[in-house]
Amino acid sequence: MLRRSLDFIYRAAGGLAALFILAIVVLVFAQVGLNVADKIWAALTGQGVGLTIPSYADFTGFFLAASSFLALAYALRAGGHIRVTLLIGRMPKGPRRLTEICVVTIALAMSAYATWYLGLLVLESLEYGDRSPGMVSVPLWIVQMPVLLGLAILTLALIDELVGLLAGRAPSWDGKAENLLSE
Amino acid sequence: MSIATLSIILLVLLFAFLGSGLWVAFSLLGVGIAAMALFSDAPLGLVMATTLWGHSNSWALAALPLFIWMGEILFRSRLSEDMFTGLSPWMNRLPGQLLHVNVFACGIFAAVSGSSAATAATIGKLSIPELSRRGYPEKMILGTLAGSATLGLLIPPSIILIVYGVATEQSIARLFVAGVLPGLLLVSLFVGYVAIWALLNRASLPTEDVRASFAEKLRRSRRLVPVILLIVGVIGSIYTGIASPTDAAAVGVVLALLLSWREGTLTRASFVDGLMGATVTSCMIAFILAGASFLTVAMGFTGIPRVLAEWIGSLGLSTFTLLAALTVFFVIMGCFLDGISVVVLTASVIMPMVMQAGIDPLWFGIFLVIVVEMSQITPPVGFNLFVLQSLTGRDILRVAHAALPFFFLMIVALVIIVVFPGIVTYLPNQM
Repeated sequence: MLRRSLDFIYRAAGGLAALFILAIVVLVFAQVGLNVADKIWAALTGQGVGLTIPSYADFTGFFLAASSFLALAYALRAGGHIRVTLLIGRMPKGPRRLTEICVVTIALAMSAYATWYLGLLVLESLEYGDRSPGMVSVPLWIVQMPVLLGLAILTLALIDELVGLLAGRAPSWDGKAENLLSE
Repeated sequence: MSIATLSIILLVLLFAFLGSGLWVAFSLLGVGIAAMALFSDAPLGLVMATTLWGHSNSWALAALPLFIWMGEILFRSRLSEDMFTGLSPWMNRLPGQLLHVNVFACGIFAAVSGSSAATAATIGKLSIPELSRRGYPEKMILGTLAGSATLGLLIPPSIILIVYGVATEQSIARLFVAGVLPGLLLVSLFVGYVAIWALLNRASLPTEDVRASFAEKLRRSRRLVPVILLIVGVIGSIYTGIASPTDAAAVGVVLALLLSWREGTLTRASFVDGLMGATVTSCMIAFILAGASFLTVAMGFTGIPRVLAEWIGSLGLSTFTLLAALTVFFVIMGCFLDGISVVVLTASVIMPMVMQAGIDPLWFGIFLVIVVEMSQITPPVGFNLFVLQSLTGRDILRVAHAALPFFFLMIVALVIIVVFPGIVTYLPNQM
């Protein structure tokens, strides 16, 4: 039950991250379309109307941040984050497991630290009522939320891995990073 | 604590983190944390949070997932087959014959994809079996492929140039345009080498006696037309200033989807695979960039890059000596680190030194990318070597040996752009 809900969280966050990339394409492509329409209009009437989706560049940035952070845990489990496996790949099983435990613990500490302070940043934005610049201004805490959420899910995934490693299971990225390209 | 001691501690820490297999992004974050904790009283957590947020939401960086996705879509299309049937009739007259297909196909695919590993995989999966069936020597098949696939990094759109541009605050559009001529220079060096090698080793090459008429050649390459249009559209719109790289990337994605839909390779599964692949890769790179931007800020607090720059400045090295030393340094780093890590570490620590020496950061970006290209084919860590190993089952050292001449050709290219910097700067200056 717990296993299934955890896996669901990672996959849902990964799927959401993909949707944000799709949203970037739609948003930017729509703006390019408007630019073209505007050029044609200007060529016909001699004057452009300046068709723009308000604040589209800002929103593209927000979508990108949301996508990058929401995908963190999904990418971790898919072996997507690169690391140097030169030494660890040659270690015998015992020391290798020990190293993996150390590495995951260090990563977990940093991830938890970053999550905590990003949480504080979001609270601060909420408290001071900070808003994004531009024509369409949104409260900053809303657009910062996916970043916080992504870091929190990464922290969760690292706890998950640490527990698994201590229980003697192989990490979920085992054997995935190397054949990244053979698909 | 003196700045020298601190630098050594941080360097040791970086190697310990990376060597133990800690993810690159976390290693950069960790060194940044250590640097700030040891050397300043600034509020560490707060600085980290604002940097992570501030540097990850960026319009320019949005080109990254889009170009990656475009490459993923085309990787899953029939492009590699079209490339082979379309290009091979034109190569029969050149000495070296179909070996040139590797070079040109990689060059063309590089212009729609920003990654050298993807280029090697896409072109190699068809050309390796075809060329070895026709009896071309294995060493040349592997060498041309490993070498030319690195063009993916230099010929725009280039993922690594986006990373460099974002990390050093250079215009990505200008960097892209600056990569065009050096890319063509490398293509000509590769073609020239293959031709000369073929003239010297006639005996070990098969003879292609298929002579096709001009009309027949055109007919066979007609399926390449959409791809060529895609390339001209993407690069052309950036060059003429109609579109920013992000705009061009979005249009590129839509066109790539259309292309693969028209040829019937766009299925629900291939769409989802491509999108998820792009999501994972771009997340990985964005996370490394976030870690690197924090490291850059932390390094600013320590003053190490400034001291390093002053120290190098006081040595009174000539630009040429400095570049030669940097090349050796990067090649060694590149033996153990991937290209993106090399670029972000450079941006964090070495850029002030480069600026101090009066080197144009735009030119330096291209220089750095060629060095990184070299590191793609040096063992033990070289992504193209990994790809070719998994495609052919030949071990990495053998692939590296086959690629060695191309490593030297890239050094020749470096010397040429040092002597004639205009090759890099001419096009962007016309924008």
